[in-house]
Amino acid sequence: MGIIEVRNLTFKYANSDKPSLYNINLSIDKGEFLLITGPTGCGKTTLCKCLNGLIPNSYNGDFNGEVIVDGLSTKEHPVYELAQHVGLVFQDPENELFCTSVEKEIAFGPENLGLPRDEIRRRVEEAMAMVGISHLRERSPYELSGGEQQKVAIAALLAMKPKILVLDEPTSNLDPFSAYSILNLLFNLKKEYKMTIILIEHRLEIAAKMADRCAVMNDGRIIAIGPPEEVLYSDTIESIGIGIPKIVKLVKTLGLSSRPLSPSVLADILKVKK
Amino acid sequence: MIEFHNVFFSYQPGKDILKNINLKINKGELLAIIGPNGAGKTTLIKHINGLLKPQKGYVKVLDMNTKETTVALLARHVGFVFQNPDHQLFAETVEKEIMFALINFNFPENEIKERVERILHELDLIKYRNKSPFMLSGGERKRVALASVLCYDPSILILDEPTIGQDFHQKLNLIDLINKLNKEGKTVIIVTHDIEFVADFIPKCIIMSEGRIIADGPTEEILTDSKLLLENYLLPPQLVEISIALNINPPTINFEKLVSFIRKIIERKE
Amino acid sequence: MNIFDFEYKRESSIIHRLDPRAKLVYLILFTILTVYFTNPIILFLVFLSSLPIAILGKIVKKWATSIKGSLFFIVFIFIFNFIGIFWTTGNFIDTITISIAMAIRFISLISIFSIFFLSTSPEDLMQSMIKLKLPYEYVLTFNMAMRFVPTLAKEAQTIIDAQKSRGLEFEKGNIFQKVKKYIPILIPLIISSLRRAEIIADAMESRAFGASKTRSFLYTLNMNKKDFIFIIICIIVFITFLSLKIFFNIQ
Repeated sequence: MGIIEVRNLTFKYANSDKPSLYNINLSIDKGEFLLITGPTGCGKTTLCKCLNGLIPNSYNGDFNGEVIVDGLSTKEHPVYELAQHVGLVFQDPENELFCTSVEKEIAFGPENLGLPRDEIRRRVEEAMAMVGISHLRERSPYELSGGEQQKVAIAALLAMKPKILVLDEPTSNLDPFSAYSILNLLFNLKKEYKMTIILIEHRLEIAAKMADRCAVMNDGRIIAIGPPEEVLYSDTIESIGIGIPKIVKLVKTLGLSSRPLSPSVLADILKVKK
Repeated sequence: MIEFHNVFFSYQPGKDILKNINLKINKGELLAIIGPNGAGKTTLIKHINGLLKPQKGYVKVLDMNTKETTVALLARHVGFVFQNPDHQLFAETVEKEIMFALINFNFPENEIKERVERILHELDLIKYRNKSPFMLSGGERKRVALASVLCYDPSILILDEPTIGQDFHQKLNLIDLINKLNKEGKTVIIVTHDIEFVADFIPKCIIMSEGRIIADGPTEEILTDSKLLLENYLLPPQLVEISIALNINPPTINFEKLVSFIRKIIERKE
Repeated sequence: MNIFDFEYKRESSIIHRLDPRAKLVYLILFTILTVYFTNPIILFLVFLSSLPIAILGKIVKKWATSIKGSLFFIVFIFIFNFIGIFWTTGNFIDTITISIAMAIRFISLISIFSIFFLSTSPEDLMQSMIKLKLPYEYVLTFNMAMRFVPTLAKEAQTIIDAQKSRGLEFEKGNIFQKVKKYIPILIPLIISSLRRAEIIADAMESRAFGASKTRSFLYTLNMNKKDFIFIIICIIVFITFLSLKIFFNIQ
């Protein structure tokens, strides 16, 4: 059994006429890096909110099926309890950060848990170190750049010590350099700290190389899931509105049999020496 | 058509956001302004419709000096679509939203009706005409914001980060529209981080960094200079990275060219 | 920036380090003095007493900016009172005295509140309110509202720019038309705030908001000697001013 089990999940928002998610079945292993992508409106954000319990606890609608996170069913446990197992990072850091210093921002979560002060202090230091922002501790979150803000948001969630991190398009408002930095951070969190990472992303060129599996959603369903090369090179997803990496289009046009995801691997295949 | 001459601008004394900007944009050009965060891109474009006025130097738009012209007068010729449509939408219906600018610019009533009809059709918004703009999806709201600016036919169109949150198909629709408007003679200026979009579709680009214009020229030349890009905290487009990895000189952003180069490499090996 | 630029910035002055409860005592006592007295000279002295605190707090520039920003209102209050009182009493000296007093009273209030908010971090304020046994949810709501004021101000400016770019002209039109022109500004601001509120709520829940009834705090407030000295000084000054009323019957 994976650390996240989604079984026959169908969800329709209360004020919507059709479901946002149809019969989703997904099993995610501990320590896995899962990349989820799909056109606008495919249900990615809704799925994220189902993974940390915001749906069905805070959102009204028809919720059918089950989502089990680290052994807990999201229907039967409040969000604040699930928050210690799975952290959710949103798109726009400006609306996620609401304290006057980075330190206090990161302490917010543990404070909510009523933890003793030295434990809070320890978690804050650890989270800042994991993300590499200890030097920003006294700064005010809204003075920071978008990339730094997003790192603070991630640290704020890491202070809850979740085993799973779900990120809903965390780089869409960031410039490419900061985006790259965040994606690298996520890869490190998986590699060094063995965290399970679920990333919704459009910038597939960088993220695809880091992921263990890639899932493509369309119209509320998962239509493809598997190792990134398999999924991105498959013909089924060509017609869907996702940004297939240029290297995939190139290799397919050339008719090569291998499925590289990075330019250096392509260079190896063509035996081009630097 | 748009001219920046020795322009300096700062929000607070001592911290210049724009440093000695000299720029000429001709009628009918289609160009992108790229650069790292804080480069001053948004500050620059706000000078084109007069929202900001230079402290030193001048900006001339269609022979009007922006320091001597009101924003409303400039806005009649310069359509500015902001990044977040929610910062513009306020009316009860989509139709009323589109009429807003037309009413502000004193268009005669029959012309207003005609223009609203036309733009609703062009941007596929007819079925939403009596709906509240707030009930629409994100992409649809972006279209309404765009429609409310295009309806009065400005000769210059500025789009601030139009591709954020747009998926592949939406971007294709966007570039179709941009090309159509450009063919009609409109000057289109796009500020964006999306270097792939620029590489694929925009013929000319300008790099801004730290308040200055670093480069100004054809996209093919600028985006293939990876040294220039990295120096300015920009990542090269994928096709350029692939060109470099395969020792293809000069690198290219043209898909067909790259395919034929690689085919030659494969043939040579065989 | 403007009259309501009461934004807290980190500084290491004595005043910043005072417990918010001590500053709250200052706020209440001096507000009482400002509202109680009508003699312009006394009111001016009360206003002047803010100056040493502003200096100690290293916030003189921002404090002065708030006051400068409220100049329009001060003049308005003066003129308004002048016309009203002269109309009623016809006595020139009384009119001038009262009008000046009203104006100084306003400046004084701006001054006191400005010092308080410029030198107190929202979190410390929040904690002091909690220590005063106010319910946490209300305190947090108030705190959040304060924190997002600069964000809203920035957004309002963007919205104004966006609507000006569609030809909206604020200068033109009679008073009714001018007021109507604020609708395209207010509606996007309100809608945007509603959307933002939903996102913030999600973000807070995702960090276990509501998990424990006994929430802990990384930094706690403790009143120390300096706080009590400050409170005592405030009380002494308060009593001194009051004695002017009692012994010399100055209003």
